[in-house]
Amino acid sequence: MLKIENKADIFHYRTLLFVLFFSISILLSRYFYLQVIDYERYSSKSQVNSIRAKATYAPRGLILDRNGVVLVENYPTYILTVTPYKLSDKDSQFKVISEITDISIEELKRRYKKYNQGRFLPTVIAKNLTFAEISQIEERRLELKGFQYKRFDERLYNDVLNDAHFLGYLRELDRESLPFLDKSQLYRAGELIGWQGVEKQYEKQLRYSKGVDYIEVDTFGREINRINENNIPAYPGNNLILSIDARLQQFSKNLLNDKKGVILVSDVDTGDILTMVSNPSYSLDIYRGETSDGDWDSLLKDENKPIINRTISGLYPPGSSFKLITAFNLVEDGLLDPEDSLMCTGSYTPPGSSNTFKCWKEDGHGLVDLNMAIAQSCNVYFYETVQLIKLAEWTNTAKTFGFNFKTDIDLPNELIGQIPDKEFFINTYGRWGWSERGVLLNLTLGQGDILVTPLQSLRYINHIASKGKTAKLKLNASKEIEYYEDINFSEQTWQRVVNGLYDVVNVDGGSGWRAKQESEVKLYGKTSTAENPHGEPHAWFNGFFDLNGKTYSLVVLVENGGGGGAVASPIAGKIVSFFTDLNIEMAEK
Amino acid sequence: MNPFNSFLYGSNEYIGRLYLIVSSLITFGLLTLYSISSEPLSLSSSFSRQIIFILFSLLIFFIIGRINIKTIHDNSTLIYIFSFLLCLIPFFLSPVENTYRWIDFGLFYIQPGEYLKCASIILIAKYLSNHQLEVKEGYVVIIPIIIALMSSLLVLNQPDLGTAVIIFAPVLPMLLWAGVNTFNLFLLIAPVITIIAAANNIIFNIWALIMFLIFLTFQGNFIKKITIYFANIFTGLLFPFFWNDFLNGYQRQRFLDFLNPDLDPMGSSYHIIQSITAIGSGGMFGKGWGQGSQTQLKFLPVQESDFILSVIAEEFGFFGISIIMILFFMLIKTLLDIAFKCSDYFSSLVIVGLTSILFSHIFVNSAMTIGLMPVKGLPTPFVSAGGSFMLLCFIILALVTNLSKN
Repeated sequence: MLKIENKADIFHYRTLLFVLFFSISILLSRYFYLQVIDYERYSSKSQVNSIRAKATYAPRGLILDRNGVVLVENYPTYILTVTPYKLSDKDSQFKVISEITDISIEELKRRYKKYNQGRFLPTVIAKNLTFAEISQIEERRLELKGFQYKRFDERLYNDVLNDAHFLGYLRELDRESLPFLDKSQLYRAGELIGWQGVEKQYEKQLRYSKGVDYIEVDTFGREINRINENNIPAYPGNNLILSIDARLQQFSKNLLNDKKGVILVSDVDTGDILTMVSNPSYSLDIYRGETSDGDWDSLLKDENKPIINRTISGLYPPGSSFKLITAFNLVEDGLLDPEDSLMCTGSYTPPGSSNTFKCWKEDGHGLVDLNMAIAQSCNVYFYETVQLIKLAEWTNTAKTFGFNFKTDIDLPNELIGQIPDKEFFINTYGRWGWSERGVLLNLTLGQGDILVTPLQSLRYINHIASKGKTAKLKLNASKEIEYYEDINFSEQTWQRVVNGLYDVVNVDGGSGWRAKQESEVKLYGKTSTAENPHGEPHAWFNGFFDLNGKTYSLVVLVENGGGGGAVASPIAGKIVSFFTDLNIEMAEK
Repeated sequence: MNPFNSFLYGSNEYIGRLYLIVSSLITFGLLTLYSISSEPLSLSSSFSRQIIFILFSLLIFFIIGRINIKTIHDNSTLIYIFSFLLCLIPFFLSPVENTYRWIDFGLFYIQPGEYLKCASIILIAKYLSNHQLEVKEGYVVIIPIIIALMSSLLVLNQPDLGTAVIIFAPVLPMLLWAGVNTFNLFLLIAPVITIIAAANNIIFNIWALIMFLIFLTFQGNFIKKITIYFANIFTGLLFPFFWNDFLNGYQRQRFLDFLNPDLDPMGSSYHIIQSITAIGSGGMFGKGWGQGSQTQLKFLPVQESDFILSVIAEEFGFFGISIIMILFFMLIKTLLDIAFKCSDYFSSLVIVGLTSILFSHIFVNSAMTIGLMPVKGLPTPFVSAGGSFMLLCFIILALVTNLSKN
């Protein structure tokens, strides 16, 4: 038709045919390699590709007191989540949610951004939905594509005993904190984690173990199918039984009433803390539901510092109770005969000095021996006797009793206080700005640069009550008893000091006579009136007593409360009476 | 023989075989599309759309079948210019998916680049079949290359690297078919290989050595050979600049991902990894029709067009893909047979060119699914969903039918 003959060569035909054959062979051999030789590898890969693990949850462990009273339990609430990729019209949908829940759109968006974990995972944007809100969401379900409400356990606190300080609280995890957490616990943003107190300390025990459901998903992470093989169930967290006695705790707290201060009661034999009051406190209910920023601010800025757990993070000068440090030094090292008496004229002038140091009793105590010096807290006796001791020995003794160290209580954020030594004084006042004799006059009264926590003070009194072998303080009743390093003083040394402590409460003229018990219970103790730059002196009472063959100790501190004898002793006395009555009541049952 | 049969089977029995192969491929493709559509019978599913495309393409097939070959031959320049202008239209319209490849007809898109492929083949064939031409001479390669280059550069600007490469594919087989000297053909492809080899130093050195040996073996003007050799080396040395400035970001990324797919599992090589996983997990006999988990759970991207072979490989296994590959082999061989047996030189050249287009689509697409080539967005003939390309395949079929009558 076109008149040009086909000049195609058989060689060219074969060349192209060969190229064709060769190319198809390459393709087929590659298919063969992938599908037959490497089959296993891709087969397992394709299964992993489509199966996704989904976390399941169980309740967190409860927190109970030593008698089984529930202090912290779980309370089912409903939370609202949003899954970003499902949203149809974010702005108008957020507006609807804002209308239903009364949360501002800005706040919703802030949460949406803060807790966002990716396009395909639900993000929590509202908590504590009421049933009215849930039913409204249900009614407008079609408009609210991508929003979902689901059950979410919150902490519920005992109405009476909701002390934030040792219980602590939970906090929602945000993405910033995630990298710093224990990987094995599989935390995810939006989950709750113990953030303070025993909730933090025993996070591992209380936290549920997450389960895993295997779900077949498509490439967008959408659920297609639930696979019931190999699922790992979620287990609830373990309960935590505290050594706290809720009734005693409650009674003690009421005694402090609106006064700032601390009350600690412990079982000396086991180290169990029966009461841990730090006043003022704040209700843990602030962590439930919505707390406005204003409420938070006023809590943080309150000058009484309700946020601080004073028992472990409050630092105070210990006052006269530190006279016992001097006493231990004197007796144990045989520096003087405890029976010897000194003359207290109401003031003391160190040799070669023109300064005069006064006793709290201006008329003087007259002839004073060690026993009386402890019982009546005579300053002059200790001014004179401390001159026999070297500073290094004195600070050593203080540290032996655990000052300047953590008590290892099972709570986070414990402070260690301060026991000044030679180095400290040189650094603070220069090499010539202080004298060893001079500072000891201050230190022996527990004044000056000494700072202790009330819990360290409790440990101190426990050492004395147990004569050196003392169990570590703890809040977890099931925790095994451990001991602090033994203090190996002679029996006579312990006895001398303990006798003095007995007289503080039980002999006329003792500074702690207001704590004296009407019952058979013998209370030993030491009052302190700690001068401080913040106003009235802090009133202390440290003591211990035997009851039914067991030894208990207590520390009462009223911040800027006045005299230890006048303010702290009566409180201590009431606590011991109440505790005695409790025990009788228990025994009758 | 009645007129209808004569139209269908043409002047030889190869046409019958060709239709049988094509029907098998279309059936296979439809089966696969049915399997991946969630509601295959709804009008918006790729399955139903494919059936509509096929019916429409058949209509065009019969129309083109009635056109006289001489008309095509005589108007080949006009056809080329028309197709070329058609390709310019998208540049004056708003871009579709950031490219100027498509003309939007509301119901469907037309990709004029597809038809430029055919038009340039016809024009090249007309030139090469010119009886006054002395094909043994080296200069005959110049005009075909200029035609291909013009089309290719236009398409490259759309931008559509895949089609631009495909437009070049028929040139070499057609020149070979026309009897151009093998050494001259080598001179043609040498720069292309040089450019690709330049991406890697070691490969470039090996290529320089091979080139040197080939230049030694062939007879010819020594000065000319030396010049061409060093021109090649020089191009290769310049090429890193080309990599950096000439290729678009996504094209370079696709190429680099292709070289190392594990670097970025969620990026563009995500497609390749998912495709290989789908294919490999198919095994010998596949997971069964509609049972491919990679496919059904949508892990496999663009599965109805670019990756339809991966779907077949996953659901029907190596067994299924072998059948497809054998069908492809027979399709191309039948076309070559027709071209060889064809009495008319122009027709024969056009058929070789069209065959090359089909084959390069088959090869690039299959190679892409198994990670042997970068993703190009080139569909598989008669199997992949897509109207524009299906229509092109039927036009090719019609042209072949028509030409084979000579």
